[in-house]
Amino acid sequence: MAEPRGPNAAHAGMFPNLRRDVAFPIVGVGLLFGVFVAVGLLYQSSFGGAGERLVTTAMINAIIVLGIQIYVGNTGVLSFGHIGFGAIAGYTFAIFAIAPAEKIKRIPDAPLGLTDVDMGSWGAVGVAIAVTVVVAVFVGIGLARSGAESGAVAATVITLALLFVTHEVARHWPELTGGERAGLSFRIGGKLDTRVPIYLALAGALVLARLFAQSRRGRLAKAGREDDLAARAMGVNPMVQQMIALLTSVAVVSVGASLKVYETGSLLPEDFFFFFTLLTLTMLIVGGRNSVTGALFGVAVITVGRELARRMGQDGFEVFGLGLDSEPLDWIFRENLQTVFLGVAMLGFMIWRPKGLLSDWEFDDWLYRRFTRTQSAPPVPQATMSDESEARLEVSDVSVVFGGFQALSQSGFEVSSGEVVGIIGPNGAGKTTMLNVITGLVPATSGQVRLNGKELIGTPSHEVARAGLVRTFQNLRLFGSLTVRENVEVTRLVAIAEHDDRSTPETDVLVAAAGLWDHRDRRASELDYGNSRRLELARASAARPLFLLLDEPTSGMSDTESLAMVEQVQTMAALVSAGVVVIDHDLDFIIGICDRIYCLDRGSVIASGTPVEIQADPAVQAAYLGSSAT
Amino acid sequence: MTELLQNLIDGLGRGSIYALLALGVAVIFGVMHLLNFAHGELITVSGYVAFWTISEGWSWYLVTPVIIGTAIVTSLVIERVAFSRVRGSSDFTLLLTSFGVHFVVSAIFLLYVSASVKTFSEPGWVANTFPIGSLNIEVYDAVVIGVTLVTLLATSWLIQRTMFGLALRAAAADFDTARLMGVRSDTVIRGAFALSGLLAGIAGVFWLMRSGHTTPTVGITPMLKGVLAALIGGLGSLRGAVLGGIVLGLAEVLLRSRLPDSVASLTEGFVFLMIALLFIFRPQGLIRVAHAERV
Repeated sequence: MAEPRGPNAAHAGMFPNLRRDVAFPIVGVGLLFGVFVAVGLLYQSSFGGAGERLVTTAMINAIIVLGIQIYVGNTGVLSFGHIGFGAIAGYTFAIFAIAPAEKIKRIPDAPLGLTDVDMGSWGAVGVAIAVTVVVAVFVGIGLARSGAESGAVAATVITLALLFVTHEVARHWPELTGGERAGLSFRIGGKLDTRVPIYLALAGALVLARLFAQSRRGRLAKAGREDDLAARAMGVNPMVQQMIALLTSVAVVSVGASLKVYETGSLLPEDFFFFFTLLTLTMLIVGGRNSVTGALFGVAVITVGRELARRMGQDGFEVFGLGLDSEPLDWIFRENLQTVFLGVAMLGFMIWRPKGLLSDWEFDDWLYRRFTRTQSAPPVPQATMSDESEARLEVSDVSVVFGGFQALSQSGFEVSSGEVVGIIGPNGAGKTTMLNVITGLVPATSGQVRLNGKELIGTPSHEVARAGLVRTFQNLRLFGSLTVRENVEVTRLVAIAEHDDRSTPETDVLVAAAGLWDHRDRRASELDYGNSRRLELARASAARPLFLLLDEPTSGMSDTESLAMVEQVQTMAALVSAGVVVIDHDLDFIIGICDRIYCLDRGSVIASGTPVEIQADPAVQAAYLGSSAT
Repeated sequence: MTELLQNLIDGLGRGSIYALLALGVAVIFGVMHLLNFAHGELITVSGYVAFWTISEGWSWYLVTPVIIGTAIVTSLVIERVAFSRVRGSSDFTLLLTSFGVHFVVSAIFLLYVSASVKTFSEPGWVANTFPIGSLNIEVYDAVVIGVTLVTLLATSWLIQRTMFGLALRAAAADFDTARLMGVRSDTVIRGAFALSGLLAGIAGVFWLMRSGHTTPTVGITPMLKGVLAALIGGLGSLRGAVLGGIVLGLAEVLLRSRLPDSVASLTEGFVFLMIALLFIFRPQGLIRVAHAERV
């Protein structure tokens, strides 16, 4: 079955493709859920009571790990704080769920009259989610602000600080939490006497995690995960996606934490601290943090491995009934072997297989590709859009000073839609700086950048892109672990949300037009140099820019490839009816493609005109061509 | 007034130790872009060495160099076994590798020693005080502040005036370019780990003198203080790390003495909260480090 296509399929809804992004994931996680539960039931039928507890715990852990996966997997930010959120949810749940008659024994003086609150367990889960999500909003603001400034490392430390704050509060606020030793222990109506709530929560967590990853938001978040700066340049604001991922993820963790508390029947500060963080993170990374299937698989692998380590720590090889002499290994078969197992698993995977066992493989994605006939012929581009709205970009008097170095002084250029304008100049002339200023990556010391008369200086990068200026990167900043199609598709998602008035070419049309049809399902990181450049071009075009800003699109290409690039740039620009600004060293390419050329030298424009005029200009020959011109 | 001065001196003593820890964290962040969550393990290992040597009857004067040596060797071993294998990996991998190292080291002590607290005697003078005017200065604080000052001056000389320091600064500014300029990455990275171990060793001596005990997880608190202080100061800035440590120490002491008794035990929680607010209003930390990304 072919992909649904035509202009009507291009909607800016939550899911780009209902069959691929909703139907198959639900079927897929349904099957995974079935297998996971079946294996659990099989295990407990052969091990009795202890086995039953192990399986219940594994399922609850799976819910929490899936919750963490929603954030960590889609945003790529490592969080130690999710167990801290778990602690907040766990305590909130306990305080609201325990009957007053029980609470009076442990926390008779709870603040805000919480001792007398009696909500029942369902209400308590709701309160737990609400409280935790509110805390997460504040943490998320901190994460966004520090992440924008100092990158993912600072964000990780903030999450770690959250884990410690919750732990400190739990330990030192006995009126609320029962303190460090006594803790809270309780009966709500006995321990969980049925597993139905756990099954429901696990199935819900699986569906939510998978759907989030496939949704528009999830895809945008993944673009930010792959390359924050490139995502911004394509019009994605990663901070928004990260916040949504965080709130979704924290809600799932809250449900898991409430169930954990309910099932355990007691709660101590230690229950949601370092060890549980280690356990859940190890489960996540061993299976593969970027995949929901992987996260579930990791839970299974680590649960089995840890149980095995625990029992071998007690009984050595007798666990297998082998009758092997385990004495020579007594130095390793000791109590606490399971902690060593977890630490070694985490360290080993980080060193030798940081992406985990399954990397980003998804079961339903495999099913989809297996049961969907792929279209073999490249789609023919529809007739060029008759979008004749005139756009004009005016860059004037731009100066940039880095320290004492004047990278640009009073430089500028103009370009109208339908034109191809080139900027040439020797290394260090300020060409890339010019693009960086226009796209909001480098602040200008002075000057104006006007798009259709609207001033863009000071506008954040992602808004510049949405306004219609989209760039490529000289040093290739593709979304590496996404496929060629996904690279184009994610950018196109931004475009169709922004311009639903103008029909945007289909992903496949863009991929084919860029000459990447044969590579459409390969990962961007696997492409060779020339194809990577073509993908940069296709991805930027997918954003439906008014102007494509190309930073050395032929750098590293052979002469033949460069010539082909002339045609490719023209095709793509025509397909999305964008004007083009191109920076390059390759004079043949520039002369072949440009209507007008500006020549920069040491930060200033020294000449401008048609290719013929520029070639004849003595100042250009002196500054740029010099003696090396051949 | 007296109370405030007293607090300042106490806070300076505490902050000095944090500064040493934070400086060690910052040095490694500079060369490897690794925020080392295993930094506290240097103190864990030193703690057990202190426990064993002191129960053999060694005096603190002998134990001190042994602890410092242990911290340096441990730092180098951890680099060799774990961090050298993940050089240049993503932040995610680096962070979790150090987290993994933390757990493996503490699990080894859990497996082969025990989870229980091992105590050892502190030197007799730790609790002594001497009066200056109306102030009561702890000998311990005076020693800590003095030694830290000397250590920081020596480190500053090392970084500003020696070839190793030049290489370290160059590597911190731009590792790839530094390598092209002939800086040997192995030498710089190992040197940074040795320096970080030395600083943690000195901090560890003071930490253990005061606490008089060790457990498999004793390193968590000093690690957290070091990492947070480095972050408060502005990640990657060495001066910032020292400043961050002192600020953190002062904040803790001042808060604890000012908060009403009923919530004084939540001091740490309040400090974390203030750090969170700092990040919201000044996300780059106290000292901004210019980090250019090539586009």
